[in-house]
Amino acid sequence: MHSVGAIAVVVIKELYRRKDFYVLFVLTALITLLMASMSFFNDRQVVRYLKEICLLLIWISSLVIAMVTSARQIPAERESRTIFPLLAKPVTRGQVLLGKFFGCWAATGLALVVFYLFFGVIALSRETEWMLAGYFQAWWLHWWMLGVVIAMVLWGSLVFAAPSSNVTILLVIVVGILLLGRHLGKVAARLSEPMQTIVYVVYYGMPHLEFFDVRDLLTHQWGAIPWWACGLATVYALIYTALFLTGAWWSFQRTNLGER
Amino acid sequence: MGTAWLSMVLGGVICFSLATVYDPWHQNRTPTTSHDPSMMEVILGESRRLFANHFYVKADVYFHSGLYPSIFDEAASEEDHHLEHTAADDGLRDARHEHDEHDAEHGFPGKAPDDWIYRFGTHFKPSRHLHLDKPSEARELLPWLELAAELDPHRIETYTVAAYWLRSRLQKNDEAVAFLREGWRVNPDSYEILFELGLVYWQGKGDAFRARNVWELALRKWRLRNPTGGEDRYNEKILLHLAKLEEEAEHWDQSLQYYQELKASSPHPEVIQKLIDEIQARRQRKILN
Amino acid sequence: MSEILKVENLRVEFRVSQREGGRRVAVDGLDLKVSAGEVFGFLGPNGAGKTTTMNVLLGFLPPTQGRAFLFGVDVREPIARQRIGYLPEMTYYYKFLTAEELLRFYGRIFRLPREQAESRIDQLLKLVELEEVRGRPIRTYSKGMQQRVGLAQALINQPDLLILDEPTSGLDPLGRLKVREIIQRLKNEGKTVFFSSHELGEAETVCDRVGIMNQGRLKAIGRISDLVGGNQSSLEQVFLSIIGHPPGDGGQQTPQRPGN
Repeated sequence: MHSVGAIAVVVIKELYRRKDFYVLFVLTALITLLMASMSFFNDRQVVRYLKEICLLLIWISSLVIAMVTSARQIPAERESRTIFPLLAKPVTRGQVLLGKFFGCWAATGLALVVFYLFFGVIALSRETEWMLAGYFQAWWLHWWMLGVVIAMVLWGSLVFAAPSSNVTILLVIVVGILLLGRHLGKVAARLSEPMQTIVYVVYYGMPHLEFFDVRDLLTHQWGAIPWWACGLATVYALIYTALFLTGAWWSFQRTNLGER
Repeated sequence: MGTAWLSMVLGGVICFSLATVYDPWHQNRTPTTSHDPSMMEVILGESRRLFANHFYVKADVYFHSGLYPSIFDEAASEEDHHLEHTAADDGLRDARHEHDEHDAEHGFPGKAPDDWIYRFGTHFKPSRHLHLDKPSEARELLPWLELAAELDPHRIETYTVAAYWLRSRLQKNDEAVAFLREGWRVNPDSYEILFELGLVYWQGKGDAFRARNVWELALRKWRLRNPTGGEDRYNEKILLHLAKLEEEAEHWDQSLQYYQELKASSPHPEVIQKLIDEIQARRQRKILN
Repeated sequence: MSEILKVENLRVEFRVSQREGGRRVAVDGLDLKVSAGEVFGFLGPNGAGKTTTMNVLLGFLPPTQGRAFLFGVDVREPIARQRIGYLPEMTYYYKFLTAEELLRFYGRIFRLPREQAESRIDQLLKLVELEEVRGRPIRTYSKGMQQRVGLAQALINQPDLLILDEPTSGLDPLGRLKVREIIQRLKNEGKTVFFSSHELGEAETVCDRVGIMNQGRLKAIGRISDLVGGNQSSLEQVFLSIIGHPPGDGGQQTPQRPGN
């Protein structure tokens, strides 16, 4: 785990020495503050639309950070050939992969803390009550969702030819799951065979990332979800993360690094 | 080099001159509108109506504290839709309608989803049917209604719904008047907007004079659009309110005239007759006193 | 003497297009042993199979046939690389890290205790004359400075076996002298050095034994004095005759067969 931790620390350092996170955070803050300056029918106490827009921007920014960061990890190491002095040390490919995963995940988690703190400040400026448990659960579930996405993208980086194609394809899939995932069952019920079976297979097989999206609950002040549901969702994310990382490890093992 | 610069300047002058000739010609050819397109309308083009519809639905979602009707729920609710507008209680949906998520599911063609994924997923989304009950909460709908109106100024219900909330829950009558007037400017033939404007004047500002004028104008507009009557029974609402307004002002004859006109077209003439009898009784009592 | 490095009947094939024959044999039937304390020069023209052999030794590439061992451990085990240092031909290190951070990172991979690692980092930066720029990101370094960083990271764990791929490639005469001095010093300390090079003059200066590869096969191996016997007056002449370009002033030279 020493090696895994060391690699993770390098990934975190890379993220915070690049401009991506700062640019996205500043953009999010700017747009949110711009929206906050607007008044609707001379009413400056409207808060829910502001929370919704802020959360939407946070989700977009965090997805971009997570996917772009993890998509370039292994390909950049191979392209810049830094993978060779690394693998010449007593470290396995599995450890490299785990280190990259934990690095990306920890980095995005830290970024999320900053984003959600900003969100809390915005919300508190117009609301009287601060649902701490709800905010924590929102951050926690969001972070685990990003863990699943990062594992998917890491696997994709070993399957697809270029980081750009990896990010594009998986972004479409992730957004599709978030928007339509919960409805696929209803769609399947209306179809005839064999499409019904195919859609059901996809419905039950895919990671339901919409479980981790509690923005509506946060925006409309529904309070915290039951802790057992939060725990189950965490286990669900852990299973899918492990599955995708296993796939990535399998692909990485079969990659010939020294081929010219 | 000098020739190139000269050619560019000459080209610019020619283009500018042509534009001064072409623009008025183009203006004469294209139909004029009473509405100057905003920046968002120009950028989004015709797709703005999609966004406007989305924002209107968003306002409805906010009214229901985040309960989001999916396209499947909406398909069900269109088959099972019951909007009963009353004069006193008008909103995004009728407060008395029984529509909730389970009803929407039962109305959906095919089996209602009962799998563990769907059931588990309900913990992470609003799933109970709630309304924004507190007066101050109504302000949360405003941004979406204003945006919807900005993008599709010809969607009448955006103005009427927004005005309802501004008037009845937020006591922002001046803002409601301004909003409705803007809507009327873009939709000069809309009797719905005029009716709502009259409500703001009467119930919000206590200005019966203006309310009467606006409702009479609304009635004229309705008659122009529906010379033979027909399916659109908006006139009944206008007539009812005019009748009540005149009743309150003790203009009995005028009030009775409106009730008689209402009775002629109402599907429940006996109910209107009762109101007529009450008015006549009140007038009699006033005379005796 | 114990065998630090052992290769048995190594064969490495790559898949190529059908037009090129479907497969390319990069290394064919290589048998090699390097004893403790030796400086072994692994020579050959471009495409001879030197780098492919090194890639197998470092675990970047699985052999198609045969085996390789470092310190008696199969090279596919990460523990085989615990006591080695590797300097790649091209200097590829994380550009966003400083020299100090890079050495600390590799020190963590080797599980060096913190105090020992810090002391080692100071020693190495002094050795490679990068003390004054230790806090600058590597992307600001010249090529020579990056090469010296590479040398430092190869020595971080005080390796018993140093594997160098073209260590003097791209260096100026002073840089080359420095590398030769370091190799000599390691030899005096009883370390084993295995390096590939085109610089026959340097090989003649520092090596105890050399092996000459050509077209995937080990054509000659032994002490330089043994190889440079008979009518050939230098290693270069031996080299040229082995690869099929006999020197103009000599008759037919018979290359030494592999083995002592």
